[in-house]
Amino acid sequence: MSAQTPDRGGLLRLLAKAFAILVLVLWSLGPIYWALATSLTRPDELVSRTPHFFPPNVTFQHYARLFGGSSVSQGNTVQSVWPEFSAALLNSLVTSVGATILTVAIAAFGAYAFVRLRFPGRNILFILVVATMAIPAYTVMIPLYRLMIQLGLIDTYVGITLIYTSAFLPLALWLMRTVYQAMPIALEEAAWLDGAGRIYTLVRIVLPLAAPGLIAAALLTFLNAWGQFIVPLVFSPTLATKPLTVLIPEFVTRNYVDYGLMNAAGILAIIPPIVLVIFLNRYLVSGLMAGAQK
Amino acid sequence: MATVEISRLKKAYGKVEVIHDVDLSIAEGEFVSLIGASGCGKSTLLRMIAGLEPITGGEISLDGRVINAVAPKDRDIAMVFQNYALYPHLTVAENMGFSLRLRNVAKADIAPAVRQAADLLGLAPYLGRYPKELSGGQRQRVAMGRAIVRQPQVFLFDEPLSNLDAKLRVQMRSEIRTLQKRLGTTLIYVTHDQIEAMTMSDKVVVLNAGRIEQVGAPLDVYDRPANVFVASFIGSPAMNMFDATLETSGGKSVVRIDDLVVPLPVRSAATAGTKVVFGVRPEHLELASDGDGSARFPFHVDLVEPTGAELQMHGRIGSTPAVATFRGRPGVREGDLIHLTADPRDFHLFDKSSGERLV
Ligand SMILES: Nc1ncnc2c1ncn2[C@@H]1O[C@H](COP(=O)(O)OP(=O)(O)OP(=O)(O)O)[C@@H](O)[C@H]1O
Ligand SMILES: [Mg+2]
Repeated sequence: MSAQTPDRGGLLRLLAKAFAILVLVLWSLGPIYWALATSLTRPDELVSRTPHFFPPNVTFQHYARLFGGSSVSQGNTVQSVWPEFSAALLNSLVTSVGATILTVAIAAFGAYAFVRLRFPGRNILFILVVATMAIPAYTVMIPLYRLMIQLGLIDTYVGITLIYTSAFLPLALWLMRTVYQAMPIALEEAAWLDGAGRIYTLVRIVLPLAAPGLIAAALLTFLNAWGQFIVPLVFSPTLATKPLTVLIPEFVTRNYVDYGLMNAAGILAIIPPIVLVIFLNRYLVSGLMAGAQK
Repeated sequence: MATVEISRLKKAYGKVEVIHDVDLSIAEGEFVSLIGASGCGKSTLLRMIAGLEPITGGEISLDGRVINAVAPKDRDIAMVFQNYALYPHLTVAENMGFSLRLRNVAKADIAPAVRQAADLLGLAPYLGRYPKELSGGQRQRVAMGRAIVRQPQVFLFDEPLSNLDAKLRVQMRSEIRTLQKRLGTTLIYVTHDQIEAMTMSDKVVVLNAGRIEQVGAPLDVYDRPANVFVASFIGSPAMNMFDATLETSGGKSVVRIDDLVVPLPVRSAATAGTKVVFGVRPEHLELASDGDGSARFPFHVDLVEPTGAELQMHGRIGSTPAVATFRGRPGVREGDLIHLTADPRDFHLFDKSSGERLV
């Protein structure tokens, strides 16, 4: 109805909305575009006086330096960074995937206990777990570092994965709890009467139905882990576990900031999360909405 | 097939007791309906039998074995839920075979068992479908199929027909009844629909606020309600009830309703002067013919409602609202004063203070 006769207020509101969306899109896509443009610009044009919105001469030389053997930069032959880049990529993948699997597995079972098992202090315990999300990471960094040294877990996959898991588990638990709370208990009761035990019911009936929630939890955890900087900066000193997020800023050398290389690597680094989000995005939405609608 | 024995069963949620000392025996192969108003504890009672609600007090035994502490999965009881609770990610066949798979029945034996149950319920064409691809009635059948495949000791049904339309309900009513007779399995059926309870059951259990008011065959409960609650609950429209006093006149018992004196067919054991509730069902009232010796109730007609098969007349007898239903088409109009009568054998008399039946 209002669409046929857009009054002044309606039009204004529409414009305001459009403007807000525009700002949001620029805000989130702007930096990515800038990185992409930079990664395709020749080094000499990068430092030119007039900034270019489009690369004046598209070049793949930065990507070539990431993948290729050796290349020429500023007149010097430089070594390829591929060995470092690939090692860091692998590290990012291993720690992120490991943390995701561990986190989602624990959240899937733990949240179920918080929803369906009755034990004293159930809600207080849950609130305490979730409240840990409010603790700033840097306050626990030093004690955690000492602990990891004692355990001999510095610069190990196990150590990093455990830290990530402890950091992202509360959010995943929270999400899965909402998902389970929205599920009708009658299905589980039917399974119990059919002769199924608790674990069997959880695995065969509850988890398949909670799949969207599980995928959402996995996606959030993966994205969080993939983008981590502070934790690996402290706990991954060498290429044994150093991820892309820590490696890429190291392309800054004493007398030269290799913008092109950094941005090319950055663009490559965001491909895995983008691909994941594009394919799993509908699960993300339905999983997050699980508790909101009947 | 099993007997179910419930004794002094109690259920409390926190401090609130919702089931008070319920005693009930159910014979092997019996079809028992639990009927009562919303919130009276029907589902709670059923869920305690299933093992889904912890028992606060008393005992439930199955075939003489106390099952209070037995987990639901080990009770060998199947339940059909009101909203069916079909597993959405499993096909009809997988839903029905789920319990057999859990018992390590060989795959080769599951398929025929599922097919047999499906044939019985007319589900054969839908075995490969998912629950969301079925109509409400078909889902209801799958829920039943899932229960019968297992051949359990007892079936529990919690308002299984309440989501179906009226026509399908009537059809399913007789199907469930036939199926239960064929299988011979003990069945406890929760409903708030008295027609369902009356038509299907061997035995009706009338519940009120967590207590059993009466247990009896459907017609017993209708013909001889044990107290005022059952009398007003069973039957539609509800029984007409009048506050009255028991008196003796010429060696016979009569009840006095204001100015109206109604002779009773038998002598009441209660003493004269007792405050009583006099009841007569709307369908037992008929137009009085002149010179008839029996009791005549002057009836002020306020409203005539034709339902097709019968006429429902709402009005007053004395100052008490009353309803009469007629099968024929008596030319009665709103505002008329007519005289009604009834067979004294259809009179009901209850003690006013205790509510218990007197005659
Ligand atoms: N989890 C619970 N906590 C507290 N009270 C409850 C709980 N479940 C049920 N009750 C109470 O117990 C009583 C009986 O409930 P129940 O579900 O057995 O009623 P019902 O006879 O099945 O009603 P309906 O016909 O509406 O299904 C109700 O008064 C209800 O409020
Ligand atoms: Mg109920």
